[in-house]
Amino acid sequence: MNAANQQSIPVKVSTARTIEFAIFRHNPYDDTSEPHFEHYELEEADSMTLFIALNEIRAKQAPSLQFDFVCRAGICGSCAMLINGRPGLACRTLVSQLPAKVTLMPLPGFELIGDLSVNTGKWMHGMSERLQTWIHSSEDTNIDAIEAKMAPEKAEQIYELERCIECGCCIAGCGTAQMRPEFVGAVGLNQLARFKIDPRDNRTDAQFYEVVGNEDGVFGCMTMLGCEDFCPKELPLAQQIAYMRRAMAVAGVN
Amino acid sequence: MQTIVTDALIIGGGLAGLRAAIGVKRRGFTPLILSLVPPKRSHSAAAQGGMQASLGNSAKGWGDNEDVHFADTIRGSDWGADQVVARMFVHTAPKAVRELAAWGVPWNRVQKGDHKSVINGEEVTITERDESHGLITARNFGGTAKWRTNYVADGTGHSMLYTMSNQAIAEGIEVHERMEAIALLHDNGRCQGAIVRNLITGELMVYLAKVTCIATGGFGRIYRVSTNAVINQGIGTAIALETGIAKLGNMEAVQFHPTGIFPAGILVTEGCRGDGGLLLDAKEHRFMPDYEPEKRELASRDVVSRWMETHIRNGHGVQSRFGEHLWLDIRLLGKKHINSKLREVKEICQYFLGVDPTESLIPVRPAQHYSMGGIRTDYRGESPTLKGLFAAGEAACWDMHGFNRLGGNSVAETVVAGMIVGEFMADSLTTEATLAISSTAIDSQVNEVRDELASFQRSENNENAWQIIEAMQSVMTDKVGIFRHGEQLAEAVTELQSLYERAGRIKVSDTSRGVNPELCAAYRAKKMLKLSLCVASGALAREESRGAHSREDFPLRDDKHWLKRTLSSWPTDASSPSIDYEPLDVKAMELPPGWRGYGGKERIDHPDTPARQAEVDNVQASAEDRFAKQQQLMPFTECLPAPFRGRNGRLSEELES
Amino acid sequence: MLFKNPLSSPRGPAVMDMLQSVSGLILALFMWAHMFMVSSILLGNDAMYWVTKMFEGEPIFGKGYPILVSLFALFILSLVVLHAFLAMRKFPATHRQYRTLHNHLGGIRHTDSYLWYVQVITGFALFFLASVHLYQLIMHPADIGPYASSDRVWTGRMWPLYLMLLFVVELHGGIGLYRVLVKWGWFMGKDPKVGRKRLTIAKWVLTLFFLVLGSLTLAAYMKVGYEHQDRAGERYHPAEYSQLHSASQGEND
Ligand SMILES: Cc1cc2nc3c(=O)[nH]c(=O)nc-3n(C[C@H](O)[C@H](O)[C@H](O)COP(=O)(O)OP(=O)(O)OC[C@H]3O[C@@H](n4cnc5c(N)ncnc54)[C@H](O)[C@@H]3O)c2cc1C
Ligand code: HEM
Ligand code: HEM
Ligand code: SF4
Ligand code: F3S
Ligand code: FES
Repeated sequence: MNAANQQSIPVKVSTARTIEFAIFRHNPYDDTSEPHFEHYELEEADSMTLFIALNEIRAKQAPSLQFDFVCRAGICGSCAMLINGRPGLACRTLVSQLPAKVTLMPLPGFELIGDLSVNTGKWMHGMSERLQTWIHSSEDTNIDAIEAKMAPEKAEQIYELERCIECGCCIAGCGTAQMRPEFVGAVGLNQLARFKIDPRDNRTDAQFYEVVGNEDGVFGCMTMLGCEDFCPKELPLAQQIAYMRRAMAVAGVN
Repeated sequence: MQTIVTDALIIGGGLAGLRAAIGVKRRGFTPLILSLVPPKRSHSAAAQGGMQASLGNSAKGWGDNEDVHFADTIRGSDWGADQVVARMFVHTAPKAVRELAAWGVPWNRVQKGDHKSVINGEEVTITERDESHGLITARNFGGTAKWRTNYVADGTGHSMLYTMSNQAIAEGIEVHERMEAIALLHDNGRCQGAIVRNLITGELMVYLAKVTCIATGGFGRIYRVSTNAVINQGIGTAIALETGIAKLGNMEAVQFHPTGIFPAGILVTEGCRGDGGLLLDAKEHRFMPDYEPEKRELASRDVVSRWMETHIRNGHGVQSRFGEHLWLDIRLLGKKHINSKLREVKEICQYFLGVDPTESLIPVRPAQHYSMGGIRTDYRGESPTLKGLFAAGEAACWDMHGFNRLGGNSVAETVVAGMIVGEFMADSLTTEATLAISSTAIDSQVNEVRDELASFQRSENNENAWQIIEAMQSVMTDKVGIFRHGEQLAEAVTELQSLYERAGRIKVSDTSRGVNPELCAAYRAKKMLKLSLCVASGALAREESRGAHSREDFPLRDDKHWLKRTLSSWPTDASSPSIDYEPLDVKAMELPPGWRGYGGKERIDHPDTPARQAEVDNVQASAEDRFAKQQQLMPFTECLPAPFRGRNGRLSEELES
Repeated sequence: MLFKNPLSSPRGPAVMDMLQSVSGLILALFMWAHMFMVSSILLGNDAMYWVTKMFEGEPIFGKGYPILVSLFALFILSLVVLHAFLAMRKFPATHRQYRTLHNHLGGIRHTDSYLWYVQVITGFALFFLASVHLYQLIMHPADIGPYASSDRVWTGRMWPLYLMLLFVVELHGGIGLYRVLVKWGWFMGKDPKVGRKRLTIAKWVLTLFFLVLGSLTLAAYMKVGYEHQDRAGERYHPAEYSQLHSASQGEND
């Protein structure tokens, strides 16, 4: 009773700072555009996220500013960008947690669409096709019949890995992926691990080896661990890469 | 200009669009999907709580079947739904869950033995059968007689969408991402594709197709406070309206979800209450039992949202800088449950509120959530007026939700509709659909679009697109919200009308190549205003309260005058929508209108109701099995595509027969 | 079979990755063992002398064979070469990659990424520093002992090299061991995120320990070498040695 009575509205109290934004600007479809930073000032407001801030900047100061938001709730993975140099989801970053100078840059490692907007979708689609991130099963399911059973823990374990939102932070946070564009990255390895532990997927380790048993796959990972530390969903990426590495090492020498 | 030709153009890469495309592809035709965003970012991903399907595996779902699901759905709809469509839906939903299970969705499973659970604020023990161990389990959701909501922790939509999207990739279905359909192409009363704007280069393109399906989701962003994604602007719905031929159904039926976090409007799932969470007021009093002694927090969404607003009006809201709100309390569910089954909820509270829901209360207030209305189609998903135009998912009104949709019935609908409409599109491609649009028709329609886009750059224009959108959103939230009143609605219509005129004078200053966000806002503003006008006008005209549509000046449900579906259309060159109605036939209903079991009991009955009720009672009293009775009351199996007609296997039925 | 053309066969990547870790692991563990042995000087010249003779196989053969040291050093050198060859593939290959990497590291301010780069730099340095040291030992295996070593350190002016080598190798090996464990998911415990934190701490504690030990050791060699500089070249003969020697022989009887 008392404890909750003391609870005031749980948002940051107004500090009325003026935030200085340095935003990367470039429109690759406009021949006259050169990559540069542009500066904008914005009065901070209560519980202002970068989603709110960027929309306000666009509506009042920079009508041509490009950025991507979809869910604005940290679940769709659209809005990853470099916030003061580090990858993160803009929509769930509270301005109050940032210094008064904020630099925003598009996520590196992906095709630039314009300003802060990059084509993560295309990259992820390519990754899915390359790694075949779907259940490979030879059985035909009868959808009228009672479903096949699965251990409850197994289902939870699979979901644990399926929580990836393909935001690309693990690619932007990985030195290997930055240097070597062909590297599948933590996102790919984690997704493949998700299918590997799924009893519905009939692929053998030898088949998995064919797609990730190489230097662009699991053996390309140099354990820099940026992926794990910048993943907004806090997926156990290092653990999954290790799991794939062990399995692929065994598959490789057999 | 680039022209692309395909068999089936599917606009929308959410659950509905993806599943429809898979259906078309499996029948040997070529589908092509357009999406504003990569399909996996569609708003289907946001569905946390779950998907309803009457598997009846878990102890609390034992004995569930299509009949129970059907009755819940119709009651939820406040008898506004098309009962045949609802029947088709409840029959196909278990198949949809099972198909998804085979494709990889890691549905949470039944764990045999005793479990602690929180029901009605008290801890109870539920014992799961050994036989059910490992089958798909379900949680409780509002407005249902059984625990029927299948789920994947609180990332159900995410898992479903990823599985579906991966399946589409596996089937080699082409998806053109970052493409926006901004007009439909049609000739001789037949839809033949769309005019599409490339959201990377800003170029216009023509997609020609024998059949077109709109699966563009909801249009919640016409409201200021909404749980919807920012892309849910209803452009797909609007372009159907703009043909002047296709019609929109029940646009005034807009759902408000009880638990949007305050003030951001981001949703925390109904699963919070389903799993035992409570609603508290400023004094931390649990108030729902005072209003709804039977269903309490778990009455249908429209009812709970209204009681919350009523409670705030009665002075029990929590005061805050941003206005008033109430509390959601999930602390009693325990850390373990919240950290595993309600993890997204926890993250949302952490990131957007800075609180830990295992220890603190969550500030909530109802927010716009779902559009029951949409492109009117028949049970096959095709527009009755514009041939070759199909619609599925939240964008459509084939009408299984009537005036209020049950939680968990929407993602279920998207997949079921995708399955069914996909088959009917393939049927249409097999029999009648052709590409027969003249090049003059294409040219003139493309030129129209070009002219409109160019018009925003006229030098005499002076309006700002974002300001107009904001003004529209405020009108909708303030005047076409949870409680509605004739006077306010009339004001809303007038204000929207003037905003619509102003939208014609929007100035786009940026002329560089590329996507041009200012231009996007400009053309979308006009389309969104058209939808808003349909919603507000429909709400003003409907002088009764039904489901989510609640008129303070007409508090009763009035079956006598209003058991009918609103149809809005926008005749070419008109500046406002025209509205007509389509009656619902009580005599054909399997479940004649009555009390929902929650909410107000008073209503004005339809004259045919007693007679039909007697017929139904008669049949129900007979000794035949449930299938035979159902068949007698309202045959529907013939309406389903052949692959989905089979009976659903169910453990409870197998064990008991 | 295993080694048959690992570069081109499809199993190559797996084999090379494992060999890289195995070679690194052996080297790192050897380094620690080596540090303990070399630090025997801290216990006195006799202790160091005893260790030297152990290595030359005296307890087994009754007499020291320095060639054993040569052979062992050769083996270690080959491991270093193998390891370096495998690890060098991970170096940024082009100017462009270096630029990308520098931009990346500069922006993200991320410890484990920095540490990787430290490994690249220290690895590169080791290539030269370790080779010099090992070459010397292979060629002059008999020149190990309290005086011989100290003379080399002081009079032979090897201490600056050793000082660098010490820091470089301890950093490289410590980080490397940590990386091997995380990379293969060993010793991560129930909660890998907690496990990693624990390993990070353990890594720094160990690195610090060996740096301190190494510095003291080096100082000891320098001290002995400094005091012995006038008689540089003279070999050490422990006072008790002959007694000790005959005593053990006596026991064998
Ligand atoms: C926060 C939230 C939680 C929810 N939770 C649940 C739940 O627990 N259970 C439940 O049953 N329902 C839930 N719902 C409802 C449900 O998620 C949606 O109704 C459903 O997912 C809609 O799916 P869809 O396929 O129709 O559309 P969406 O998934 O919204 O997809 C629309 C697609 O259309 C594309 N598109 C839109 N316009 C255009 C255009 N002009 N041109 C080209 N492409 C276009 C988009 O890119 C997108 O791919 C929830 C909704 C919200 C907002
Ligand atoms: C002499 C030249 C050497 C070079 C060029 C070198 C280089 C490297 C590089 C670049 C890495 C990182 C590899 C990766 O990220 O995958 C590495 C890893 C490692 N090195 Fe070295 N190194 C050398 C010597 C040594 C020595 C002497 C030791 C022993 C202390 C050692 C121990 C390790 C260990 C344990 C690893 C981790 C192995 C792994 O990640 O699989 N290295 N080395
Ligand atoms: C079989 C192989 C090796 C032998 C027998 C050996 C032996 C020795 C000896 C006897 C010393 C004392 C100083 C001297 O005599 O010059 C020494 C010092 C040292 N060695 Fe080695 N070594 C070997 C391999 C290595 C390797 C591979 C490395 C690192 C890459 C290394 C790093 C060092 C360092 C840093 C010192 C100075 C330590 C200090 O004084 O703190 N050694 N080694
Ligand atoms: S693994 Fe994490 S960081 Fe990488 S794409 Fe998925 S959610 Fe984003
Ligand atoms: S950051 Fe990169 S190198 Fe490996 S551990 Fe993560 S993928
Ligand atoms: S907008 Fe969806 S994650 Fe940020």
